[in-house]
Amino acid sequence: MNKRILLASVPLVAFLVLCVFLLKGLFSDPSKRESALLNRQMPDFKLVDLYDENIVYTRESLLGEPVLLNVWGTWCTTCKYELPFLTKLREEYGVKIVGVYYEQAHAPKFGQFVKVEDIRPDVTDMLARWGNPYQFNILDLDRTLSLDLGVTGAPESFLIDANGVVKMHHMGDINERVWRNQLAPVWNEIAE
Amino acid sequence: MIPELGNFALIIAFAFSLLLSVFPLIGLRTNNLKLMQMAPNLTIGLFGFTLFAFGCLVYAFLTDDFTVINVAQNSNSLLPAHYKFAASFGSHEGSFLLWLVMQSGWAFAVVLKSKSLPPEMRTRVLMVLGWICVGFYAYIITASNPFERTLPYFPVDGRDLNPLLQDIGMIIHPPLLYMGYVGLSISFAFAIAALLSGDLDSTWAKWSRPWTAAAWAFLTLGITIGSWWAYSELGWGGWWFWDPVENASFMPWLVATALLHSLAVSEKRNAFKSWTVFLAIAAFSLSLLGTFLVRSGVIVSVHAFATDPARGVFILILLALVIGGSLLLYTLRSGAIKSVGRFSPFSRESMLWGNNVLLVTATIIVLLGTLLPLVHKEIGLGAISIGAPFFDQMFTYLIVPFALLLGIAPLVRWKQDKLNKFVTAPLVIGVISIFISAVWLWLEFEEIKGLALLAASLSVWIVIFTAKEYRQTGQKMGFDRIPLTHYAMAFGHIGLAFVIAGAGLTSQYEQERDVKMWPGDQAELMGYTYKFNGIKDIKGPNYEGWAADISIYRGNFLEAELLAEKRHYPVQRNTMTEAAIDAGFSRDLYVSLGELLPDNAWAMRIYVKPYVRWLWLGGILISIGGFITLFDRRYRGKKAKPAKNSNRQEPSTKRPEAASNQTEAGVTN
Repeated sequence: MNKRILLASVPLVAFLVLCVFLLKGLFSDPSKRESALLNRQMPDFKLVDLYDENIVYTRESLLGEPVLLNVWGTWCTTCKYELPFLTKLREEYGVKIVGVYYEQAHAPKFGQFVKVEDIRPDVTDMLARWGNPYQFNILDLDRTLSLDLGVTGAPESFLIDANGVVKMHHMGDINERVWRNQLAPVWNEIAE
Repeated sequence: MIPELGNFALIIAFAFSLLLSVFPLIGLRTNNLKLMQMAPNLTIGLFGFTLFAFGCLVYAFLTDDFTVINVAQNSNSLLPAHYKFAASFGSHEGSFLLWLVMQSGWAFAVVLKSKSLPPEMRTRVLMVLGWICVGFYAYIITASNPFERTLPYFPVDGRDLNPLLQDIGMIIHPPLLYMGYVGLSISFAFAIAALLSGDLDSTWAKWSRPWTAAAWAFLTLGITIGSWWAYSELGWGGWWFWDPVENASFMPWLVATALLHSLAVSEKRNAFKSWTVFLAIAAFSLSLLGTFLVRSGVIVSVHAFATDPARGVFILILLALVIGGSLLLYTLRSGAIKSVGRFSPFSRESMLWGNNVLLVTATIIVLLGTLLPLVHKEIGLGAISIGAPFFDQMFTYLIVPFALLLGIAPLVRWKQDKLNKFVTAPLVIGVISIFISAVWLWLEFEEIKGLALLAASLSVWIVIFTAKEYRQTGQKMGFDRIPLTHYAMAFGHIGLAFVIAGAGLTSQYEQERDVKMWPGDQAELMGYTYKFNGIKDIKGPNYEGWAADISIYRGNFLEAELLAEKRHYPVQRNTMTEAAIDAGFSRDLYVSLGELLPDNAWAMRIYVKPYVRWLWLGGILISIGGFITLFDRRYRGKKAKPAKNSNRQEPSTKRPEAASNQTEAGVTN
């Protein structure tokens, strides 16, 4: 073969090899893309209770039974409308729901700070009005846990099995339909 | 209703792209001029309907139409209107629609500006753009439709966005980058059209140069603004992080820079032709590849966008078709490309060859650094990450020969020059550059750091050589006759000098200090005295708070009066720190007010960042250089084509070498 053509085909060959890797990258570990955490252990954390700085939660606090971890905040309108259904889940299906609370207005990198004492009355007020699905709420003021979980906004929910393995990452609100079609199958599996 | 109209418009646009990719082809085959002439009109239709569809999406966002999935997931009723607008292209679907608006917009610009091209060439270019569009429109309609509805179950309000993504930078930065990425498709289309026709004389290089310069200028501006935004908004004080997403925009930039230079050689000297075609293909391919990497989630990055795997496969197939197809065409056809221009080992051509080698090496380094973690994982060696230290080191090595060449190259003649002419001047200028830099750094910082001295010397070297070259050209041609493209080169090169100096000096000399101060206290940092005069109460329309009144002295001279504020917004219950930055040509002074400590002292953080502004000043100068090219007589408005064709042989034949050397100089870079 012509030497020039051989040389000219180098980029093509390199690109085809790259394509193989990209394709493998897309498929080899499908979970990795959707959420870096899927089928992995929950990241470790050490955070206090929303209402009481003396109660400290870690990864171990979530072990033992499956749990629905719900990332929310009073500033998030959709979270508010999700509360009645989540409460129904807790009351009727016995789903253990733990909240991860983060405050949008608190952004130290932007120099915005919020006091926890100011948040608490609003939370109490909102939960009293719309329903309280939470067994407890983890305060993630600096968003360390949210970042580790790959949260991009609120509301987002995670289904975590009794061993602390993340089984599902759902972005957006949970309503009857979303629960039935997407979350319930996974939940029933880990709740068995 | 409106979203349906948008969807409908998109489908019509898709139909236009199909027609655009078929009819001109038949026209070319059957030599039917009527069919060929449909191409411009089809392109206008394509652009019109795409623009309309985008308008519909923006409307849906502005009116909070949460029955549209895209709106419900990326916006909410409380978002200010300008963020709603930004959100319309912030999502995956929306950004793709923006991409299409630009893609068809560039094609529309080609229609407007290409009336002087031979009809066959014009048709081919538009047809190639049509082919690209078919793939993209098929993708957006089937796999990533921004108008999909949530009906019948729609949410009362949208999802709240990550507050970190709500920023003015998000409104201007992505569209500029996209303009650059997509703009490179025009040089790509010209290259493919030339390959298809087999007519690879240097005319195509001339036609595609202004387009490449325009796309490249947008890309430069986009990258620069991204860097500035990260610095001023994210508050990390950094300006480049070698994040995969940044690399994705940097790779096309490097190749486009190489392309810009090699196009000059192809146009002027009829050399490098096959290589230039390859670069044109590579630049657009890397834009696509970068977009794929960012959007498919194959690579983990702080910018990470979650996506659906089916889309990844679709884009990959699209990539394989566009890039693979064009590389295949290149492989088959490039054998026939003959570069007639001969040149000696020491000539302008060989200098530009050096430029290309270095830029392509840099691209390969970035590409490997970005992709190696993926490959490493896939061949089962586990996850690794390649970070800033690797890139910093590599680029430090590369920039030295690059800057040295860049200084000399514009003075070297085309075809052949005498090496011994370039011994004394570079030696003298080299020594002068080091001397000036050493004095400069010593006077400014009273300490000379090796890397900073290197960076400063390289930039002084570039500036002196650029000035020397300008003087010589002016003397030979007359200063008023220097073409605009020559100024473009000067802007580009001096801009780079600013970037090199800015990067070197900031990274070597910047300092920060956390201090605790009582009113009346002073703190020293790098020869600046920060005097804390006291705390003032401030009251704004919807906030109240305190401001630290700081005077910054250099010796006895008052440099700046800053008010570093801490605002409390009672309604939103939050406190915001408004850091005060005194931006300066040679340094940024920065104060951020911290907490009131129990003993009535205040915590504060102070920074001095020398020459950090030069980075963005340089970036802006470089992109101005790109835009200037567009106004050059040779590329603007109506160009008589036959005249051009005869013109183009001139440099190699008729014109005396010395004169051509000078006219070409500007165009070259």
